[in-house]
Amino acid sequence: MEILKSIYEVAWFILLIAGGVAVLEGYLYSHFKFYRKPLFEVSALIVFPLLGLLALKTFGLAAPGSYSWLAVSEVLILLFFRFAVKGRHTVPFMLLAPAFVGLALLLVYPFVFEVYLSFHDLKLTTIMMWKNTGTLPFAGISQYVKVFTTSPLSEITFWALLGRTLVWTFSNVFFHVTGGFILALMLNNQIRFKGIYRTLLVIPWAMPQVVAVLAMRGEFHATNGFVNIIITKLLDTLPFLGSLGVAPVQWLSDYPLLTCTLINVWLGIPFMMVVILGGLQSISSSYYDAADIDGASYLQKLRYITLPLIRPVLMPAVTLGTVWTFNNINVIYLVTGQAGGTEQADILVSALYKAAFTYNRYSYSAAFAIVVFAMLFFFSVFYLKTFDAAKDER
Amino acid sequence: MATVQFKKIVKKFGDNLVLNGVDVEIKDHEFVVIVGPSGCGKTTLLRMLAGLEEITDGEIFIDNLLVNELHPSKREIAMVFQDYALYPHMTVEQNMNFALRLRKMDKAEIAGRVKEAANILQLNKFLERMPKQLSGGQRQRVAIGRAIVRKPKVFLFDEPLSNLDAKLREEMRVEIAKLYQRLNATILYVTHDQVEAMTLAGRIVIMNHGIVQQVGSPIEVYRKPVNLFVAGFIGSPTMNFLSGRLKLENGTAVFFNKFITMPIPAFVLPQSEAQDGREVVLGVRPDDVLVERPGGEKCSGKIEGVLEVCELLGHRENLYLKVGGQRVLATVEAFFNRSPGSAVSLCFNYQNMHVFDKATEQRISE
Repeated sequence: MEILKSIYEVAWFILLIAGGVAVLEGYLYSHFKFYRKPLFEVSALIVFPLLGLLALKTFGLAAPGSYSWLAVSEVLILLFFRFAVKGRHTVPFMLLAPAFVGLALLLVYPFVFEVYLSFHDLKLTTIMMWKNTGTLPFAGISQYVKVFTTSPLSEITFWALLGRTLVWTFSNVFFHVTGGFILALMLNNQIRFKGIYRTLLVIPWAMPQVVAVLAMRGEFHATNGFVNIIITKLLDTLPFLGSLGVAPVQWLSDYPLLTCTLINVWLGIPFMMVVILGGLQSISSSYYDAADIDGASYLQKLRYITLPLIRPVLMPAVTLGTVWTFNNINVIYLVTGQAGGTEQADILVSALYKAAFTYNRYSYSAAFAIVVFAMLFFFSVFYLKTFDAAKDER
Repeated sequence: MATVQFKKIVKKFGDNLVLNGVDVEIKDHEFVVIVGPSGCGKTTLLRMLAGLEEITDGEIFIDNLLVNELHPSKREIAMVFQDYALYPHMTVEQNMNFALRLRKMDKAEIAGRVKEAANILQLNKFLERMPKQLSGGQRQRVAIGRAIVRKPKVFLFDEPLSNLDAKLREEMRVEIAKLYQRLNATILYVTHDQVEAMTLAGRIVIMNHGIVQQVGSPIEVYRKPVNLFVAGFIGSPTMNFLSGRLKLENGTAVFFNKFITMPIPAFVLPQSEAQDGREVVLGVRPDDVLVERPGGEKCSGKIEGVLEVCELLGHRENLYLKVGGQRVLATVEAFFNRSPGSAVSLCFNYQNMHVFDKATEQRISE
């Protein structure tokens, strides 16, 4: 019976969304159809805000002043239809509207709310006040100052975290690209069972990341994990390795960041491999013929032909990989983040998560998140600029 | 400059026999064009000479040096590819001097050679450009320049003009002819276009199904094609072929099929006594079909036909005629003022008539 209830709930949710889309389309359609009729404009001004208020009340979202907000937006929409749209492009507007509204609800609203939070003070001691009065004490930029001066966790500072995040990002991306490049070069040859290798190599990428990470976490367990068992067996058969310092270690507690890096490298290589393989296969073989006749060795062909020609596919993949790794909370949090977990492996985003949901410093975390966002934003813009410039050169 | 010898070259891709015993010798300073339809193995032969394709069997010599196992860069050849294969991320200059840079040649020497080649090909203005910023003809010239700077023993051209439009192709054809006069190099040129073959070649190698059909100067292969394939492949418009049988009447051979009967004089087909009953194919080029003109003594008698279609080409006109059920194409001086459907008389010029055996497809006439 439990399962029936869940199905029920999902069905309700789908119906709700369908109903929402239908209402939205009907609303737009009426505007498209009657935007020129004065009678429509007057009645729309009264009816739509009232209906909106009713909807808000039904879902318990109504607040004082809701009606005037709805009326003002209705006026704006009517003006928009009257002077900007003028009944044109009906079908594109109607087709794009649901996606647009969905994006606004899922992206724009949270972002605006986050900016709002970052300039106020929401924490465990003010949350009841927010709930009762709907207002928060204004904090100016003090949250941003705190981001750079206090620790999001128990001791580590923002700057140390940033340094660790950069090391984490660069080491991961470096191994993703080199590993992916080597595998792609091998797969690009005429070898037997190529399809099987390719499928096997893509598995880490195709698996849900949470499942893969938790499975790998188990393999790094100090006594029952695959990694330490292998090391022990190796030491049994090749005792001289012990004198070289090889020994089973407490991966999760003593080397958490290294463990996370190993797992994330394993996870990230397939994506780079697939992208680079695609790039390699798009290079015309006549370049290699020409280079052969010109007398280029294997490494020279790699340096002068392959690398420059896969740059256009490699660079976007590297940017994406950098942003994903920089923001990768999954691996860090799932490996080290549970109760009693260490803070030695925390990077900016995982520290941010803990600051918000373990230490309940909401406004501080909002400011923190905006700082992280700004860093990545400028990195991407800078990167795209240089990439465009490089493209223009050709 | 150098000689090139192919000895009994065989190439197999799996079970697929691409080249079957190719024997060709190319002399010093010679411009040889290998021509044939797509899939005849001509490009494979060139790539084997360049070292880009393994040799299944046989030997290739450059300057009497066996190069079968030699790396492409050690063979002292330069190749111009069909798609040019200009490195897209290098400037024209870098493209041209790439091979020299790899050889770690002296910088001044490199600059000198690039300048010289750029002068020959009028590329001076474009040295700093990227291949993307060049037109097709300019890219073609860069590809040739890249070959020139290396001062190779043999130049290899792999269908170099097939990516250009018709007008540019004609211009580049002349450019290549001039280049050959200037460089006086050994050139091996592969094309499927018989016009390029006829106009550029000192000697033509005609290939089909991985076998060399005929080797000879353009005029030889045009005047005396050794078999039906060569006869049909060389020359535009294509030669007319009339299938039929020979019989002996009063000591002379007479060709006949359902629609046409004509004697074949002895200067075309000697030993006519031996030909009685033989199945043959007559080949007559459209230029040698005389329409509405008094045939001389070296022409066949009048044959009545019907004009089906006229194609005006400017100074010449293609006439599609029908003699009974036999189609005949004639090329005459413009303007042939007759409307389609009218009856015309035609005769064949014996002087340029070719007779082939139907079964072996080999030439049996003089």
